[in-house]
Amino acid sequence: MKKSYFSSITLALVLAFLYVPILLVVAYGFVPNGVSMSYFDANGAFTGFTGKWYAQIFTGHYSVKSLMQSFWLSLTIAGLATLVSCVLGTTSALALHRWKDRLQSIHYALVYTPLIMPDILIGISLLMLFVAANVECGFWTILIAHVTFCVSYVAMTVLARLQDFDDRIVEAAYDLGAGPWYTFFHVELPILLPGIIAGGLLAFTLSIDDVVITSFVNGAGTNTFPTYVSSMTKHSRNLPSVFALSTLMLVFTCILAGLSKFISRKQPQKTKGK
Amino acid sequence: MSKDFLVFDHVTKRFGALTAVDNVSLTINKGEFFSLLGPSGCGKTTLLRMLGGFERPDSGRIYLEGKDITDLPPNERRIHTVFQNYALFPTMTVWDNIAFSLKLAKKPKAEIEEAVDGILEMIQLSDQAWKYPSQLSGGQKQRVAIARALVDRPQVLLLDEPLAALDLKLRQHMLIELDAIHDQVGITFLYVTHDQGEAMSLSDRIAVVNKGKIEQLDGPAKIYEAPATRFVASFIGDTNFFEGEISSIDGDYCLIDVDGFPQIKAFNDKNLAVGQRVSLSVRPEKIRVTLNPPLPEKGASINVFPSKVKDIVYQGVYTKYWATSSNILISALKPHSRFLLDQETITWNDEVFVWWHPDDGYMVEAK
Amino acid sequence: MKENPLRSKRAEAAVTLPSFVWLALFFAVPAFIVLAFTFHGHTANGGVGEWSLSTWRELVDPDYPAIVWNTLRISFEVTLWCIILALPCAYAIARMNKRWRAIVAGSIMLPFWTSFVVRVFAWKTMLHPDGWLQTCYFSWLKVSDWLFDWLPGFMQRFLVWAGFASNAPLDAASSTILDSEAAVVLVSVYSFLPFAIMPIYTAAEKFDFSLLEAARDLGAKGFYAFRKIFVPGIRQGIVSAVLMVFIPAIGSYVIPQMLGGTNCVLIGNKIFMRAMQNRNIPHASALATLMAVSVLVPLGMAMYWKKRQNARTSRRLERETARMIVGRGGEA
Ligand SMILES: Nc1ncnc2c1ncn2[C@@H]1O[C@H](COP(=O)(O)OP(=O)(O)OP(=O)(O)O)[C@@H](O)[C@H]1O
Ligand SMILES: [Mg+2]
Repeated sequence: MKKSYFSSITLALVLAFLYVPILLVVAYGFVPNGVSMSYFDANGAFTGFTGKWYAQIFTGHYSVKSLMQSFWLSLTIAGLATLVSCVLGTTSALALHRWKDRLQSIHYALVYTPLIMPDILIGISLLMLFVAANVECGFWTILIAHVTFCVSYVAMTVLARLQDFDDRIVEAAYDLGAGPWYTFFHVELPILLPGIIAGGLLAFTLSIDDVVITSFVNGAGTNTFPTYVSSMTKHSRNLPSVFALSTLMLVFTCILAGLSKFISRKQPQKTKGK
Repeated sequence: MSKDFLVFDHVTKRFGALTAVDNVSLTINKGEFFSLLGPSGCGKTTLLRMLGGFERPDSGRIYLEGKDITDLPPNERRIHTVFQNYALFPTMTVWDNIAFSLKLAKKPKAEIEEAVDGILEMIQLSDQAWKYPSQLSGGQKQRVAIARALVDRPQVLLLDEPLAALDLKLRQHMLIELDAIHDQVGITFLYVTHDQGEAMSLSDRIAVVNKGKIEQLDGPAKIYEAPATRFVASFIGDTNFFEGEISSIDGDYCLIDVDGFPQIKAFNDKNLAVGQRVSLSVRPEKIRVTLNPPLPEKGASINVFPSKVKDIVYQGVYTKYWATSSNILISALKPHSRFLLDQETITWNDEVFVWWHPDDGYMVEAK
Repeated sequence: MKENPLRSKRAEAAVTLPSFVWLALFFAVPAFIVLAFTFHGHTANGGVGEWSLSTWRELVDPDYPAIVWNTLRISFEVTLWCIILALPCAYAIARMNKRWRAIVAGSIMLPFWTSFVVRVFAWKTMLHPDGWLQTCYFSWLKVSDWLFDWLPGFMQRFLVWAGFASNAPLDAASSTILDSEAAVVLVSVYSFLPFAIMPIYTAAEKFDFSLLEAARDLGAKGFYAFRKIFVPGIRQGIVSAVLMVFIPAIGSYVIPQMLGGTNCVLIGNKIFMRAMQNRNIPHASALATLMAVSVLVPLGMAMYWKKRQNARTSRRLERETARMIVGRGGEA
């Protein structure tokens, strides 16, 4: 088979392009000078690495206080939004999968459209809703906004999982005498769990990463991690702690992803097809 | 109580403009192995799903032991289904799959264990109890699906083409096992298939279904030998049709005029009168093909037609011949004995004699 | 009559309502509020005024059409670059063996597990006026300026008119890559590229590569075969990729905000400015409506194009697009 050097080289360059900023994120977390963000001093001499930004994070140094606050707020909101959107997304997928009437075609449009709309439109329209309803923006409005855009992702992921399974399995449960609740908890939920977990993980990462929608509905003074970072001025003295925290998050998500791969590999295979 | 165990009373089911089940009335006896046989899309599954409670008839009622179950949801009927694709619960082991209905009924633990272990023994899967469905072979899955549906002794077991997904060898093996299981448990089996061989070999009675209607309900031999309609005659097995008009009657026998063909003698089982149109069905295995005409003393009473061989297909158990006589193509089967030693090997384009006994023709309604 | 739990309307209502009500209340209703606000005037203190068409009339303000056009143009540029880069990448991945495919496809998505804002911040630091990227950028400007002078006059005028080029003389001080359109395009391509690669790769994976060999066998040169056989074979994947890049690019807000400065203001930034800074809610609403239209038009076109495909492949495409969308992270 003839190899195409052109495409291989492009791929290598693109991978480098994608990874350079990530390497920088890691590198900036060890930089001693938080103002110039450079490993070299005015004379061009190498200044070495420092772990002080990590130390500040772990000791709760006053300079990283608001950063850490925003970080914990992000975690809380992402956790809650994931929980709520998992419940709503799962029921939504079940309904979309089982019934095929007019109600469901409207329902499908409601679930599908947020996926194709730019985030900023969801942000601005929610802001308009809160303006029209005269609601003070803050923690709860952020949570509502995050649930709103996460539901669709969870619903689609669970729906994809549902489509991979034979519908007759549910009928078999009823056939053997199970009622709707028993069927849901003993038959459907165990089957859907990997889909729900995948959808939940996606919802969590989207929520914790969201800056656009949040910046519309966060009101004054409530900052999640991304909005806080984007509000940091050009020459904040503490930028390296942002990068240090991001590096920690990256390591943590890599471990989580590895775990989820491991779990999904142990799942029994789907029954449809051969 | 043995009669009128399960009754379909004028049941109709439509999907939009299509009538999937058309005014079907049907009585199934207790403990019977009953088959629904028909071509794809004729409404067999729909009939079964109404019995299982997954579809609601548009009109008509269904009774089980005298009780109207038409509107009962599936989980309140003691009727279990073996699904075509098994529909085993993928997240449960074989053991848990089988124990599902017993756990649901909150049976005592010891009883559940006894019942599940017992049925595992019966299906010979005791050593596979802790496997997941994805780790089983097709035949094993099939047996688990049957065990799961049988373990709490339902009133009726519905089997929707349970062997369709298996290969030929396994299918033959499972056929024997199914028969054994039915004898062992004594539960009423309602079996759906479009494979006539399966239906023939297993059933006490067979209902042949076409376009949502029952064409004939009889024992396997009656269905094969005495098809009630043209459809049954052609759907079950192979046959030759001769279309014609009764020209004369001679005691129990009659002569049939067929366009452009010599007269055919046939047993007048329908007591038809002269002048009535009729189709005569003659099964290929009843027709003999020989190079020489049959012996003269026999020749007087049988149908003999000189023909020309058009095609020969060797099929192992028998050889199939197609021969034309006066432009009518007749198929005939010849079983083999001393095949390779046979003196009169018939080959393509040979002039032969095609003949059968008048008793072997069977009359069905004209086209 | 007992209800069949598989068909019961009550069960349907119970399962449908939670998500239905939530999305109706927090997605559909707000959309209509936005639309309604565009038919109001605005008040001096940042409120919403009387019913009027003044907002739509004010949209003709020369500022807005230019911004809409710039947004479309930049989104187009970003999409073009993404597709150009994604095609050979997807091809290269699809030609690898199974193990490597999974690894490389995974490592293309991996960078997206760090915070989007932080990644843009890292770019911002890299694009610093003292950095090497600035040097590259300025050299590129000089080269393109030189090329531009070679073009015939009418083409020069067209490019300037359409905003692809400028007549202003080059000077090092004002030509920083930070706070320029180039930075926005660069980082947008960086951010959206994986979402272009993945759908094309998914389509390429199913492509029958023996067709290419057959073409080469018949004497087609490598690139010719690639263009004439591979590209049409994965057209559906390309359509998905275009949508997955173009739509978020239209809605882009963080990247131009952090890297474009005042030289690259897109609809997204204008919406944010109008809504959060000058409190002109009707204007923000009208701009949002315009943005929704610019998203729905290409989408509608894609749908129409899809309708002409046969039903089965299009349903597959829809499902796969849904999966791709689901698989995307980061900013949209
Ligand atoms: N849910 C449904 N909606 C619409 N039409 C249906 C539905 N279920 C079945 N049908 C139609 O009803 C007719 C009978 O279907 P059914 O499944 O009962 O056939 P079958 O005899 O089981 O065929 P097969 O041997 O192929 O399984 C078919 O034409 C089918 O298309
Ligand atoms: Mg069927």
